[in-house]
Amino acid sequence: MKQTNIAPALQSPKRKLWKDMLKHRYLYFMLLPCIVFFIVFSYIPMGGLLLAFKDYKFNKGILGSPWIGLDYFQTFFNSYQSGMLIKNTLIISGMKLFLYLPFPIILALMFNEVRSKWFKNVSQSILYLPHFISWVVVVGLIQRILAPDTGLLNQFISGAGGDGSTFYMMEPEYFYQIMFGSHLWKSIGWDSIIYMAAIAGVNPDMYEAAKIDGAGKLREVWSITLPSITPTIVILFILSLGNILSAGFDQLYLLRTPGNMHLADILDTYIIQIGLQGGQYGYATAVGMMQGIIGLILVVIANKISRKVSDTALW
Amino acid sequence: MNKKWAKFLVLPLMAAMLLAGCSNSNNGGNASGNASGGASVAPEDRPATWIADRKIKGLVFMGTDDYTEDMNPEIKAEIKKRTGIDFEIEIMKASKSIDGLVAGIAANDLPDFIAFYLNNSGRPEMQVVLKAAREGIFTDLAPLMKDTQVYSKYLQDDYLPSDTKYGVMFRPEFDGSAYFIHMNINRQGGYDSRKYVGGPYIRKDIADALGVDPRTIKTTDQLYELAKKIKAGGFKDSNGKDVVPIGPNYWGGQEIGRLFADLEWGEDGQWIRPDDEGKVLHEAQTPNVLKKVEYVQKLLAEKLIHPEFFTVDETQSTEGALNGTWGIIANMHNYQDFNQDMHYLPLGPLNGLDGEFQMQVAFKSGYSAWAIPATTKKPEEVMQFADYLASREGKLLWMYGLEGRDYTMGADGFPLVKQEVIDLKATDSNAAKALGFGGVRNWWGELLGSTDIDKMADFGEMEYGEKLQEATSQGALEIAKYWDWDAKRQQANVFDAYSPNAFLGEFSKGAELKAAFDNYRDSLVKAYYSKSLDNAKQVLDSALKQMQAAGLDDYLKLIEQKNADPHTKVSFRAF
Repeated sequence: MKQTNIAPALQSPKRKLWKDMLKHRYLYFMLLPCIVFFIVFSYIPMGGLLLAFKDYKFNKGILGSPWIGLDYFQTFFNSYQSGMLIKNTLIISGMKLFLYLPFPIILALMFNEVRSKWFKNVSQSILYLPHFISWVVVVGLIQRILAPDTGLLNQFISGAGGDGSTFYMMEPEYFYQIMFGSHLWKSIGWDSIIYMAAIAGVNPDMYEAAKIDGAGKLREVWSITLPSITPTIVILFILSLGNILSAGFDQLYLLRTPGNMHLADILDTYIIQIGLQGGQYGYATAVGMMQGIIGLILVVIANKISRKVSDTALW
Repeated sequence: MNKKWAKFLVLPLMAAMLLAGCSNSNNGGNASGNASGGASVAPEDRPATWIADRKIKGLVFMGTDDYTEDMNPEIKAEIKKRTGIDFEIEIMKASKSIDGLVAGIAANDLPDFIAFYLNNSGRPEMQVVLKAAREGIFTDLAPLMKDTQVYSKYLQDDYLPSDTKYGVMFRPEFDGSAYFIHMNINRQGGYDSRKYVGGPYIRKDIADALGVDPRTIKTTDQLYELAKKIKAGGFKDSNGKDVVPIGPNYWGGQEIGRLFADLEWGEDGQWIRPDDEGKVLHEAQTPNVLKKVEYVQKLLAEKLIHPEFFTVDETQSTEGALNGTWGIIANMHNYQDFNQDMHYLPLGPLNGLDGEFQMQVAFKSGYSAWAIPATTKKPEEVMQFADYLASREGKLLWMYGLEGRDYTMGADGFPLVKQEVIDLKATDSNAAKALGFGGVRNWWGELLGSTDIDKMADFGEMEYGEKLQEATSQGALEIAKYWDWDAKRQQANVFDAYSPNAFLGEFSKGAELKAAFDNYRDSLVKAYYSKSLDNAKQVLDSALKQMQAAGLDDYLKLIEQKNADPHTKVSFRAF
């Protein structure tokens, strides 16, 4: 009697799971391609990380090539460039993570307050558009606008009685402004979409209640909208921490000039130059793997802190 | 219910098909070799040039402009008729050809042959193919060359230039084996296919207005004075805008050694040469570099040189040349179409560090290479096919097309290009290219056949269709005459030597030093744009330290050792 009582109690979660799966079998089937996709394109390629510890031979493949331990990591940290590369990467990605963070939120809040539907649609479209322009075109535009003597900005300066010959792209003191400004212009519209979606999900009753209590627009934003979208902000921030050592290859590769190279050379450009163009796959994999591992550690730490502080976490 | 099941089963099935469709089939390349590697069935009346009834497929790691993957059907049929070979090429598209080469070799799924850029053993591609050869990816071609007509010449003692022989093909480490064929070797040493006049050019009307004979400009000081006069002259371009006294290179911004010739320490981009005592030094180790930086800073400060001289893109640079915006174009040559009316004239040539200008002519030099992967079945048939394409008959086919359709054979035994082909080339270059041979700029035959070159001996003309279109290159020849090309050629230094960077591949810290050299190139430009000479010196000192940390001093010693060996003489002279 006892046995029959215990058995269903122990088996029930498993049986329940199977029962649920059978019940929702069609949904599970629909999930299958997605799982296959991630296995094929995300998990199987992780096997390639072995390259970071192997002296890759063309004829022996990844598994057959000899092990070399942590040689590549040692080479990287002994390289005269490693300190500069890590510093530049952290500065640039730090600017893109922390400094940039409020801008799309502010834009989303502003859009939320626009009452004219026509104006809202037009301005949203204009702000989304740069996202679809490739970095090659964007940097080409920047180069022309900032060109010495003939560029739009220099023409304006010389028209106003200034010198008008500054070679902005070659001057290191303008690099961060150009880098951050172009990133902001290109990404702000697109990145605001997710916050707008979060804002749209805020219960309108709360605004009604706040109005009755005499709250103004700013108070509504501060006390209702922002707290309501905080979980979205936190989760997006935690996810983006994973890319802290990946500062954006395309933009930096194109903005790099001899004048700003000591600020613009980052790990991503280094991987391409030394690893892939030089055929040193193992080395490139090791540096790439390091980026990934540091990103993963940061995500885990940030998630733990966030869970303790705000109850919002990825898992 | 069954129907419902079927519906949902379709979803994963579609996903699986999608994945299968997206994945690259591995049997595309070698299948040709395998399938065709079997018994060859030749027709009864096969010609003497018959090789085998098979497909030969090549993967090309070079730019896409010069070839079309779809070969002209008539040309393809003619190749099949003569050799039995069904020839195909595929172009590996990549933003940089070396990226494609690295990825292609790493994929280890190569067809019957691969072709890639390789000017000399110092080119970055060399390290990639060398690693592949050492690891047994390629077939040893030396035994296959013995039984050929043209390629057997490569085995003769005095046929190949030193770098091709000892640096590229028959490297001592390979002990008599050769894994790549270096192409475009001239039949005769010191052979000139054209009377090239490269370097800076000045707008003729400006030179005339200033009363300056461009040929009298011999030093950078004279160039500076000339640039000042151009600026003061208030000249305009075709859009009515002010002329920039010294514009960039026609093909995009970069350092142009010929413009700063008497300040340039060896060849630009390498900057290595011996000092007066014979000690090989890098430019950064000499006071010379600061003189050059000071000079360029002066030009930039006084707005005598284009502000983006070293970085401007090709489109703007070319546009400026075509509009006459550049009073002086830093670098171009006499065969460019836009200047056949000679509205730009060659400047100088400027003297070098060693004194008066002397033309430098390579004894022979190679360009591009090909290799046969070890997985290719019957590689001797690929070699025979390459040998056929390198023969006069093969060259005639891939350079001049089909007799009757594209040319007629003259009484002198040389081809006479048809006027309608020349006209088509002038009016519709794409339609002409579809005819499928080199003369109309479809150079598929170059990949395996362009070597043992002597166009005058083989075809009675230096360039395709030259006999018909002499007028079109008349300007170029007039410029050569104006520059006194023939006299300079007589006085030329014919050399057979390595460039200083050619030994990076065998240098233990070669990859690091290459990166440090690249950093120096950028640092030099940075120094030009520094606020002061002191700042510039700091930038250059830092770049020198990086080069030294990467083994510069040992490398310079290696160059001295190599130069002492008669097999590996080094050429330090720039032009």
